[in-house]
Amino acid sequence: MKILIADDSRVMRQIVTRTLRQAGFSGYDVVEAADGRQAFDTIVSEKPNLVLSDWNMPEMTGIEVLKALRANGVQVPFGFVTSEGSEEMRAAANEAGALFLITKPFTADAFRDALDAYLG
Amino acid sequence: MNERHGPTDADLLTIAEQVWTSYLDVDGMSPLVPVPAEKPSLDVSASVSMTGAWRGHVVVRCSAAAARNAAAALLGVELDDVTTEDVTDALGELANIIGGNVKSLLPEPCALSLPHVLIHGESGYPHVVEVCRLSGTWREESVTISVLESALVVERTE
Repeated sequence: MKILIADDSRVMRQIVTRTLRQAGFSGYDVVEAADGRQAFDTIVSEKPNLVLSDWNMPEMTGIEVLKALRANGVQVPFGFVTSEGSEEMRAAANEAGALFLITKPFTADAFRDALDAYLG
Repeated sequence: MNERHGPTDADLLTIAEQVWTSYLDVDGMSPLVPVPAEKPSLDVSASVSMTGAWRGHVVVRCSAAAARNAAAALLGVELDDVTTEDVTDALGELANIIGGNVKSLLPEPCALSLPHVLIHGESGYPHVVEVCRLSGTWREESVTISVLESALVVERTE
């Protein structure tokens, strides 16, 4: 089982990895991407089982990555972990096929609630 | 005519408390303690900007020691292991998280920029008014969060 974490902040990628562990999800290989373009390319090459992506990133935003994946027939389960959680963004994420949107700051409980259906 | 969209000092405190509880004060032993408004420390300045229905900036300013403490806490490493790159990344992400939450209190649509971090100096923000501010101390070091709105879209009544 492989999880791709896309965020332009290395600090946040580490926090997401740590929070996955604190939420009780362990035994997964974690692959990281530092911008949207790298995320898209790595998802295509590494074929992760789940993507946790920031929204606001250089090169491509998270929603652009998701739309590009779907346009290319890649149906990987995809969720957002982002500092913004407006109704408009949630609607856009949902419309593009995202499974969930976790807002920063988040807790291990928030991860458990959002991810249990996919990793539990 | 003087109606102004935007968050309040209380909103900033709520957002900051959520950030501290989640990442910087997980054990509840070192909260951010609000203090009366004071001149912000200018050692490290991290900001995100917004454009669209609302235009302005969210700025996190703190002492160099507070910035190193924040980086160590966020990364889960010892203080001695914190690099300048860690400080830049950590403070930028703090500004991004706080800015994203402030954005949820502002009129849509707005676009949030990527963070900008300056160490030992402060970026200039011309033609802005301070909408709200949280001054605090964390582990006895200064931390200030400000929301600055572009004065070009603020209608003044005085």
